[in-house]
Amino acid sequence: MIALLGSAIQFFVRSPGFSLDRFVGGIGTYVFRPVYESVGFLRQGVSSVWSGYIELVTVSRENAELRKEAAELKESLKESRDAVLENQRLKELLRFSKTLKKKTVGARVVGHDVSPWFQGIFIEGGSGAGIEAGMAVVAPAGAVGRVHRTYPDLSEVILLTDSRFAADVIVERTRVRAIAEGMGGNLCRLKYVSKTRDVVAGDRILFSGFDGSMPKGTLLGTVVSADRPREGLFLNIRVVTAVNFLSVEEVLVVLSRPAVPFRGGTP
Amino acid sequence: MRPLLVLLALSFAGTAMNVWLLSGFLPWFLLPDFSFLAIVYSGLFLPGPLGFLAALPPAVFREVTISGPPGVFFLASLGVYFAASEIGRRIFLRTEVYVLLIVAGLLAAESVSVVLLLVLEGGNPFSLLWGAEEVVRIAWTSLLAVFLFMDLYGRWQRIRE
Repeated sequence: MIALLGSAIQFFVRSPGFSLDRFVGGIGTYVFRPVYESVGFLRQGVSSVWSGYIELVTVSRENAELRKEAAELKESLKESRDAVLENQRLKELLRFSKTLKKKTVGARVVGHDVSPWFQGIFIEGGSGAGIEAGMAVVAPAGAVGRVHRTYPDLSEVILLTDSRFAADVIVERTRVRAIAEGMGGNLCRLKYVSKTRDVVAGDRILFSGFDGSMPKGTLLGTVVSADRPREGLFLNIRVVTAVNFLSVEEVLVVLSRPAVPFRGGTP
Repeated sequence: MRPLLVLLALSFAGTAMNVWLLSGFLPWFLLPDFSFLAIVYSGLFLPGPLGFLAALPPAVFREVTISGPPGVFFLASLGVYFAASEIGRRIFLRTEVYVLLIVAGLLAAESVSVVLLLVLEGGNPFSLLWGAEEVVRIAWTSLLAVFLFMDLYGRWQRIRE
């Protein structure tokens, strides 16, 4: 109807420069515009779907590449974070080695003794690095243990909590002396402390350095319980170690010979 | 020769995996003693000098990776081998239950011996919790021994056929 109306208007109210070709063309434009438009729409749709599909294929390829790149970046970021953390730990270790004022050598923990009876760790660096049996092993948080055996590039360290470990210690607050002995887990016991002495839970225990097995003042741990048994002469004192042996990654070996001669395997 | 290589690989890979890789993540009572298993299998299944030869490397691995007094665990491991060898000669029947009992028995015997020696020496690091964990270790290692026995025995039979 609109097309017919339009053509009638064109016919009766025609302009001075009227021509039949233009008139027919005008009618054609009006009549076929919807068809043109729909075809154009369809063509545009098909073309956009096709180009979209092609783009999608490209995008999916790009996506895969980007994902791969992102994974690589994540991995390198993780490595960088690890490196930063390791750097922090090593800086702390270096600062600690300076405060020790003794010749030390840093070593990385490479393994743990998995036997049920003994508590030990393996560190890289052995007799080739000047490490000998009996030398003290420490970390910034406190003492770790004592070198037990050495190989050319590996050393075995018995931890403070091993039942074969014993050393002279002192209570920081009251200067009471005792012998610390490993008792498994993350605990040590203090032996030979008289019931009359003042030791309470929370006291910090340091190595006295008198037996030469550990640098003087190195932290052993904190008292968790100090019981007074009805019988006996001594207190039952338990100390939790300052260092978490499962998470320690780098340690320092104090390169000074123990004052008391150390027989390999029987500290 | 093939069983010897299998036992060597089992003891080396198992011990290395436990000590150098898993020991930071898993508690000790969940880490089975592969070298011990290799020594027991050498005694049970490999007769004569071949069995002794197969038991030597895992005994060395145990000596290196257990921080006991020098030489003790090498000799203890050889003791385990000779015990397993005697059991293999006399009363061993090739069934899963026997493997379970033998491995559990030898592990328990070794553990009790070491505990006794340490207690006599004056140390007492053992508690009820430690005992429970040790039972878990013995049970877990023995169960693994049965699965390994079934797998290795099946493979060996197929090779022989």
